Amino acid sequence: MTNLHPTEFTVTVYRTAGTLTVRVAGELDYDTSDGLTDMVTRHLTAEAGLSDLRLDFRGLTWIDSTGLTALLTLHRRAAAVGATLHLDHRPDVLERMLRLTNVLEHLTAPASRAGTPDRQEGDATGTSVH
Amino acid sequence: MRTCVPPLVSSSPGTSARPPDAGHTVGATWTEAPCPVLVVDRHGGLVDVNGAARILLPGAVSGDWLHEHVPSWLCDAHRRITDGPRPADAAPLSGPIRERHFEAHPTAAGDGGVVWWLVDDTDRRLAEAALTDAQTRTEILSHVSSTLLSTLNVPRCMEVTASMAAEHLADAAVLVGPAKGWRQSLTYAVRGGPVSQVVQMVDVSGVPGLTEALQGFPPVPARWINPDDIPDWVTPDGFAGPVGSVIVAPLPGHGVPAGALILLRSSTEQSFSEGEEVFARLFAARAGAALSAARLYSEQATVTATLMRELLPPALTSVHGVEYAGGYRAAKDHERVGGDFYDVHPGSDPSQDTLVVLGDVAGKGLDAAVLTGKIRNTLHALLPLTDDHQRVLDLLNGALLSSRHARFVTLVLASVRRRGSRAQLRLTSAGHLPPLIVRADGTVEDVPSHGTLVGALPAVTAHTVRTVLGPGETCLLYTDGITEARGGPLGDEFFGEQRLRRALAECAGLPAEAVVERVQMLAAQWLGAGRHDDMAAVAISVPRSGPLTVLNGRAGVSNRRST
Amino acid sequence: MRHPTAAAELADRLWQAVAGGDEYAAVDLLRKAAVDGADEEALLLEVIAPVQRKAGDEWAAGRITVAQEHATTAINERVVATLAHRAAAPGRHPARRGRVTVGCVDGEWHAFPARLVAEVLRLRGWQVDYLGARMPTAHLVAHLHLTNPDAVLLSASVATRLPTAHAAVTACQAIGVPVLAGGRAFGTDGRHARALGADRWAADARGAAAVLEAGLARPGPAAIRQVADDLPHLADQEYTMVVQSRAMLVKQTLVDLETRFPAMRGYDDAQREHAAQDIAHIVDFLATALYVDDPEVFTAFLTWTARILEARHVPARSVALGLDILAEQLREFPRALVLLREGRTAVVDRPTRPTRPVPGPHLPV
Repeated sequence: MTNLHPTEFTVTVYRTAGTLTVRVAGELDYDTSDGLTDMVTRHLTAEAGLSDLRLDFRGLTWIDSTGLTALLTLHRRAAAVGATLHLDHRPDVLERMLRLTNVLEHLTAPASRAGTPDRQEGDATGTSVH
Repeated sequence: MRTCVPPLVSSSPGTSARPPDAGHTVGATWTEAPCPVLVVDRHGGLVDVNGAARILLPGAVSGDWLHEHVPSWLCDAHRRITDGPRPADAAPLSGPIRERHFEAHPTAAGDGGVVWWLVDDTDRRLAEAALTDAQTRTEILSHVSSTLLSTLNVPRCMEVTASMAAEHLADAAVLVGPAKGWRQSLTYAVRGGPVSQVVQMVDVSGVPGLTEALQGFPPVPARWINPDDIPDWVTPDGFAGPVGSVIVAPLPGHGVPAGALILLRSSTEQSFSEGEEVFARLFAARAGAALSAARLYSEQATVTATLMRELLPPALTSVHGVEYAGGYRAAKDHERVGGDFYDVHPGSDPSQDTLVVLGDVAGKGLDAAVLTGKIRNTLHALLPLTDDHQRVLDLLNGALLSSRHARFVTLVLASVRRRGSRAQLRLTSAGHLPPLIVRADGTVEDVPSHGTLVGALPAVTAHTVRTVLGPGETCLLYTDGITEARGGPLGDEFFGEQRLRRALAECAGLPAEAVVERVQMLAAQWLGAGRHDDMAAVAISVPRSGPLTVLNGRAGVSNRRST
Repeated sequence: MRHPTAAAELADRLWQAVAGGDEYAAVDLLRKAAVDGADEEALLLEVIAPVQRKAGDEWAAGRITVAQEHATTAINERVVATLAHRAAAPGRHPARRGRVTVGCVDGEWHAFPARLVAEVLRLRGWQVDYLGARMPTAHLVAHLHLTNPDAVLLSASVATRLPTAHAAVTACQAIGVPVLAGGRAFGTDGRHARALGADRWAADARGAAAVLEAGLARPGPAAIRQVADDLPHLADQEYTMVVQSRAMLVKQTLVDLETRFPAMRGYDDAQREHAAQDIAHIVDFLATALYVDDPEVFTAFLTWTARILEARHVPARSVALGLDILAEQLREFPRALVLLREGRTAVVDRPTRPTRPVPGPHLPV
């Protein structure tokens, strides 16, 4: 468990069996998005055998377009290790943004180890698990 | 009349003994005094001299005339004293004797004679002069630095440098800037006169040492430069010539020489001393540093402005009978560009569609702006395909997809064509806030277009909506920076879509600029000094043909103009 | 415009066109007058300027909406642009004097007065860089570094822009460019311009031209200073504290008003928000008055607000009550308390009809 932004923004990571659960609370925006991406990427690459990445947004108070970029990036990273992304407990602000940009279906599509929906193979952040 | 040695003397070495009081006799101790003492009768004859005086004035013996041994300033002083009492406010007597400098303090002796106590102040005077020079020079250097550092404008820096050099270092100064092609920028200053700047072709090799100075080589000593060799272009108008002495000092820059300074003194003035030459070099060093900082700044600013010009939002105007207006504010107020953008691409003739684009790249600042540049260029290339918005979005999506990052853009495309008194619009939102339409009666409508954001997913879908604008009606495209402006009287609320709709309802029938200005102003005032995202809005309006609706009681509660 | 009556008549006709939203008629009217040989400066200052002022007055009197007033400004801007375009024809008004920069301080939206000054100066042979409304000080300074003008003309209309204007004045002077201040915010006699250390002040466009023609000395290194050096009273921190606790002051005042002013309990959301904005404006003007240490800034705004509120059927009593509640929250701020007391007196003793609108946030020019 790590606090990134003690007063406004927190990311809490739990590991159970094949699932990595990440609780995101506070404002996911220009200032905090990189922190979330980096931390979750670290866990995804360090821990083998993950089948699901659950982002739990019950404590999310705000998300902007950079926050959405973070979700798109995490989706790529999860797919790269064969894990399916889940967006749980979505507050209105997130729901509205996902609807407006039409990406919910894409983000939460089941991952398959064989093929991944994006062309993330050459991802510069380089997950070594392939 | 001064009757005793002033306290000043007691602080000088060797004169701590208070001289004997004026009396008819001069005590014997004076003969031992380390300072020269002369006893002179009222006619100017030497009565006696002490040992120190004999060393100072070899050969002076009792019975000689005073004027045979000392300069006239002391003889004159003696005559004045014996003629009558000195005024109380008379300046202390002092002057040179044999290469040294003395203060002369008279005390009365018998029979109207005078005992002269000579106090050597040569070293003190030298020290004082050196100190004053040093202080003045430090002050000048500090003044030069602070004046030059306050400006980053190259011509102004040159002007200040030349003018201060003429003021403090010489009778005139010429600042020779680095060559611009074959020409040289020249800044002339004459002490007390105006500064003039010209750019002209001159032969720099005609001035001894100037070519070297401009290349940053060490300066040629002033005494090597023959003033007769100085060409005419160096002497400024109004210089009381002929030139007597010259210094050529390089202006050292940050790596590249910033030019050279030529200092001129007329032949009626003393020529430059070695100390002055050193000081001139110090001055030139300060000026050179300031000048090259200014030059660096203006080069950077010019480069930035050139690059930025491509990224700045365009000025909008009427096209084929439809008004367009845009407003933009970058997230960081010290920057001019950011992640929001808009463009209007006029149809080649009134029968063709004009394409309006407004979009928002995730992120802020220059990084985001560079991506908007790429998107704007791509869309420009896709103009021939805008009959089909979906196809344009597909191609743009393909162009932006990158394995390196998940950066995306949301945007609205609007194709507009005037038909009679109305305008036909095709509107497509790709993951962006749908446009709002203000009807002539003040009704505000959503445009129900929706679609996928562009640049992050393998495929995008979008739904295009057709609508018509009548006279006095406006379609507003805007970015979320406006609705997400956080502030208001309570400090922490979003401006929100409802407030935007209320504001738009009052904008029926207004020119496009007025709509954009109103929306921008309300959002900005809502923000106050708070931080914000990029904000952009574009209004597409069909001009009203008739007069504005006559006003009635609507100017009530809704008629508010925030500060 | 040799005859004042001709100017007045033309202004009347322009007002008709502008109020009717008829941009083309407005532009044609002025273009024709210029072609007929009317003096362009007189057209700008004796025809267009009065029409723009009238729009503000008409709004104040509730006869046009704020949106229409935006529209009149937009049309007037186009009229000025037409005249400017004509005047810019090659050889007509060669720039034979120096170069100046004209712009509004950051946050100032009323650009029209500055625009008129810019055009008048161009007609008189100055090379003018017109930067428009709400110029961030950093951009202004960058511009001055690049262009090295003889002077910068800073315009501010709303008094609450004064602290920002002060920062801009000192920034311009620090880089050796003299500042000529203008606009209603600086006071009808320019006293705020002097207090903020501007090099000069001008009451209007012609005054500004006269100051420039007489010449302005460049400020030396001595002009580099902190804002508190001009205004030693800021050391008491009252201004800082009021600005920093603005949201809190507004919230608390709103809550207390609802308890003590029964009519407010029936307010809908929009009305409550209007009330909150009114309180926020009061706090803003209080802060400005603290900044320049001049009660007139505060009392003039309050009497104006009270009148606008009465036009909206909100009794002025509520303003007085709001001031009392603010005074309770600012008990430890002696200068603020004096201002609030004077403000209260001004609201309560206010004549029923002020003869002329005072500079307030609601005024366009």
